Amino acid sequence: MAIRPEEITKIIKEKIEHFDTSLDVSEVGTVIQVGDGIARVHGLSNVKASELVDFGHGVKGMALNLEYDNVGCVLMGPDTLVHEGDTVKRTGEVISIPVGKGVIGRVVSPLGKPLDGKGEIAPEKNMPLDIVAPGIIDRQPVKQPLQTGIKAIDSMVPIGKGQRELIIGDRQTGKTAIAIDAIINQKNIPQEERCICIYVAVGQKQSTVAQVVKTLTDFGAMDYTVVVSATASDPASLLYIAPYAGCAIGEYFMWQGKDVLIVYDDLSKHAQAYREMSLLLRRPPGREAYPGDVFYLHSRLLERACKLSKENGGGSLTALPIIETQANDVSAYIPTNVISITDGQIYLESNLFLSGIKPAVNVGLSVSRVGGSAQRKTMRKVAGTLRIDLSQYQELAGFAQFGSELDKESQRQIARGKRMTELLKQNQYAPLKVGEEVLVLYAGTHGYLDEIEVTDVLRYEKELLAYMHAQKQDVLDGLNAAVELTPEVENTLKGALDEFKTVFKPA
Amino acid sequence: MNAQNRIAAARYAAAYDGLSQTLEQAEQNAQELATATHIINDVAEVLQSPGLPAAQKKLILNEALHELPKARAFISVLIDAKRLNLLGAIYEHVQTLLEDRQGISRAIITTARVLSNAQRASAQEALSIRYGKTIQADFEVDPALLGGLTAQCNGELLDGSLKTRLEKLRQAITK
Repeated sequence: MAIRPEEITKIIKEKIEHFDTSLDVSEVGTVIQVGDGIARVHGLSNVKASELVDFGHGVKGMALNLEYDNVGCVLMGPDTLVHEGDTVKRTGEVISIPVGKGVIGRVVSPLGKPLDGKGEIAPEKNMPLDIVAPGIIDRQPVKQPLQTGIKAIDSMVPIGKGQRELIIGDRQTGKTAIAIDAIINQKNIPQEERCICIYVAVGQKQSTVAQVVKTLTDFGAMDYTVVVSATASDPASLLYIAPYAGCAIGEYFMWQGKDVLIVYDDLSKHAQAYREMSLLLRRPPGREAYPGDVFYLHSRLLERACKLSKENGGGSLTALPIIETQANDVSAYIPTNVISITDGQIYLESNLFLSGIKPAVNVGLSVSRVGGSAQRKTMRKVAGTLRIDLSQYQELAGFAQFGSELDKESQRQIARGKRMTELLKQNQYAPLKVGEEVLVLYAGTHGYLDEIEVTDVLRYEKELLAYMHAQKQDVLDGLNAAVELTPEVENTLKGALDEFKTVFKPA
Repeated sequence: MNAQNRIAAARYAAAYDGLSQTLEQAEQNAQELATATHIINDVAEVLQSPGLPAAQKKLILNEALHELPKARAFISVLIDAKRLNLLGAIYEHVQTLLEDRQGISRAIITTARVLSNAQRASAQEALSIRYGKTIQADFEVDPALLGGLTAQCNGELLDGSLKTRLEKLRQAITK
């Protein structure tokens, strides 16, 4: 229907008639110093900590240091627009971000501004960035699995909905790849169990973020994903608020009873941005020059990951923080902090990566403290002995290097370990459905691979999956749906694997 | 001036102001400091020079300020503390403290065009009712306001300018 011009005029007239013409009273201060993204303001004597203040020219700031005769603010925009002597106004608000359904599929800044050129986002609500995490009564234990589609993780370090699982490792070890795979895998999951995904890029290159967005778009994952981006060229203040912004968006969906997966990529850069801000605000430096409250910085963020109780709608927010280590040193300040906050970690090692084991998960050091109870029973049964098998293998493999004679049992363990290690390798962007994972791992742990060569393992897996899809889709469907590995399910599974044995041609 | 210096200046000013018990004394002391600041302005460079011993500086002071005992003593203290460079800031602060005693608040009233005397008086009157103090206003003219006025007083900005109203109206319509 065409818009009639008198309608618009009428609306505008009404707006003008009801326009509040009262005096605009605001508390003000004066900029006495500005630079490096920080402004010192005289006045504003009643301003509260973390209150948003308005510097004019479209630049907002956050009051962080309330001192004897001045207020230290970080600027959320270019400091070149703010000058000494400028008037600063209190807003009486804390920083918040517009949220709503419209944000899904978009790339936004930590202030909620669209960055993808797809037009304005219609907000449904404003969510404050920094809120207190839900308390004990609001929660329930983590009990549903969150499938990442990665064999090594779903079997040995299972993640539950509402859990915080750290992904830690050196540069170039595939940390982001694991998170992206977990996001892409949500496509394989039925709509009602699927997570809304939020990818928060902190301090990354614009090109890297563009690459991630393209990957997600290509795999159709942007349909349920939000990307929050504060790149390396943004001021430290934006990097600092980016994870909280992502979390606020996620919480909006969580309180609607939805499941949310949020990836913080990465929190090392987040801590560095906060260190930069703190040092410029002249707060005292502590270990590694980080301020004293850098633990609280991350704990208050990660505590907001949660599984809500039934009364609250039962939504969940699962957090996958990423930490980049230097030279595999997990005992540095930020890694130890975040390890102690999270419910487990996936530890990626560069030497595993370089020896071709991808994903380069160090099985011995990776743990999931709460995910076990959330793991699907089928998967738990299949993977039960996997971790022990692998660690025994690694121990024996050390001995075997000396060329000493080994007894039969040890030789069997080594053979099994080699095949399982091979079987856990997985390509990027190729997440598996839970049924496929159970099938493949069942074959491995029940000796179906023992007769074939190690080099044939991945071909076996590929052909097995192709065979199942072509001939035995019903068995796969059964496995996907099965909650428990009942004798009937197991028998059909065995039958299918035995049949495939006759089809598979070893090299 | 950095934060430490501002804090120091505020403390010296408060100490100087604290010397006076009554309002008359405070006014007299502030006047004395004003005269002293004016007198030593010419020799400020010499007095701040690290090359000259403090004793000699005080001799100069005795000579120049022998009629102003309180101010002379105060400036001697500043020389000992090597804080003479803060004298200007201290004086400004003493003025503010004096105005507090007198119940005077400073205000900056900005308008789009020059106000008549009657208009000025009524603007000051309105502000003094609001804040319960005598208002000493500086009047400024900024054509960019278009109409109305803004008043900055007591750390508050009262904005009744046409410019701000139009801006708010623009936001209300485009929202």
